[in-house]
Amino acid sequence: MTYQPVHPAARRRWIWALLAGVMALALAAPALLLAAPLEQSAGEGETLFQQKCVACHTIGGGALVGPDLAGVVDRRDGAWLSQWILAPDKMLAANDPIATQLLQESKGVPMPNLALTEPEVAALIAFLANPGAEAVTQPQAPLAEGDAAHGRALFTGASRLENGGPPCMTCHSIAGLGALGGGALGVDLTKAYETYGGDAGLAAFLNTLPTVTMNAVWSSQPLTPAEQDDLRAFMQEASFAERPPQTVWLLALLATVGVALLLLLAQLIWRRRLVSVRKTMVQRARI
Amino acid sequence: MFNTVLFVVFPYVAVIVAVVLGIHRYRTNRFSYSSLSSQFLENRTLFWGSVPWHYGVILILLTHFLAFLFPTLWGNLLSDRIRLYVLEVTGLALALMTVIGIALLILRRLRSPRVFHVTSNADWLLLFVLLLQVALGFWIALVYRWGSGWYVHTAVPWLRSLLVLDPQIQHVTVLPVLVQLHLLLGFVIVLLFPFTRLVHVVTYPITYLWRPLQVVIWNRRPVRKS
Repeated sequence: MTYQPVHPAARRRWIWALLAGVMALALAAPALLLAAPLEQSAGEGETLFQQKCVACHTIGGGALVGPDLAGVVDRRDGAWLSQWILAPDKMLAANDPIATQLLQESKGVPMPNLALTEPEVAALIAFLANPGAEAVTQPQAPLAEGDAAHGRALFTGASRLENGGPPCMTCHSIAGLGALGGGALGVDLTKAYETYGGDAGLAAFLNTLPTVTMNAVWSSQPLTPAEQDDLRAFMQEASFAERPPQTVWLLALLATVGVALLLLLAQLIWRRRLVSVRKTMVQRARI
Repeated sequence: MFNTVLFVVFPYVAVIVAVVLGIHRYRTNRFSYSSLSSQFLENRTLFWGSVPWHYGVILILLTHFLAFLFPTLWGNLLSDRIRLYVLEVTGLALALMTVIGIALLILRRLRSPRVFHVTSNADWLLLFVLLLQVALGFWIALVYRWGSGWYVHTAVPWLRSLLVLDPQIQHVTVLPVLVQLHLLLGFVIVLLFPFTRLVHVVTYPITYLWRPLQVVIWNRRPVRKS
């Protein structure tokens, strides 16, 4: 095939077409997005409360990880409350005095950003202002006894989760795993059983996995009730186990050793690379 | 909205530009599809830069693609702790090797006057973006363990959603900033493809497999160094 230089005019046409294409795309992409179905619209406050809040809060049933929310609308300023529910992470980062105090009261477990929209927060506050006569708490059905050994298998991935979710140790470490431990993208779960208020609190958390990060992974592939029981049992057991040692340095060391071996291998495979035909000819010419 | 621009608009623009301009460059300037090798200008440092870099980056990219194409299979592979650890340590070693390789390639272009002379601005940009990208990848793998596992449940759903034109950015906007930067830099590299010598990634000489045989005859055996 011979090389055909393109006529400048043809080239200019190309570039114009390209420019038009890129512009059209840049304009169309946001439109496509807006046309896509929006996330869940403002739901009933009560439904939202059951989905997002009961893991850590009751209304009139006493404090769990978070405070009892009975009368919270009277206790707190309205604007503060909606801001807090909307973006607790930002208020904590800004060292808001009430937020800091709440953080201390909840044993250092921060109120997570629940990714709620403003209408959803308004619906929640409307419900909190008037929750009805009965206390709203977690479902009181007796919790099933989990199998800690199977929970451990689910945690490490030796048994796969039924709905296809990743093993917990992909992102979380916990005491008693040994070797290099679990992941470090998420928090260490060694003390989670105590922090989340034992069986009841942890059960509610595992059932809803209400944080933004967990939601992104688990909303489409939730844990089954049996898996939740087994994991809870394992996490209770693990809360008494030894913490694994810090693994970052061990990993860095292993990687360094690995590189050294690979470079050595490269040297062995290509050790004659510098003995080229040219070099030998040059050498002969010098003699 | 800002996230939408970063994780939806930008990837689409990068891919379209890469494909369209890549084809355009192939049609109008075919002989520029080359790595423009500087092997004749400098050969010693090149070996310790190029060999670790290419073997490392090709294997690591391969795992990124495998996990993207066969997420279930990948998940099953990692379900055993020992296999997970072996894979992660191997990946980390290869990542470190690519960092060393690209750093040496950059130093070589700075230190060898002949190679420095044939290095364009686009080359420098590409080299530094690549260095940043593999260094970030190494750091993420080390600090946010175990990336081989969570990649399949965060970046892969996002990439797949882009592929089927139904963008879902909530999978990646919750990730740490460094990880988001790694994702975006990936598309920056895609964007740089048609403007740089990166085009050589699609010129792997596979025609060697079916081209006619060539008979190479040496007049004399090369003399070994004693």
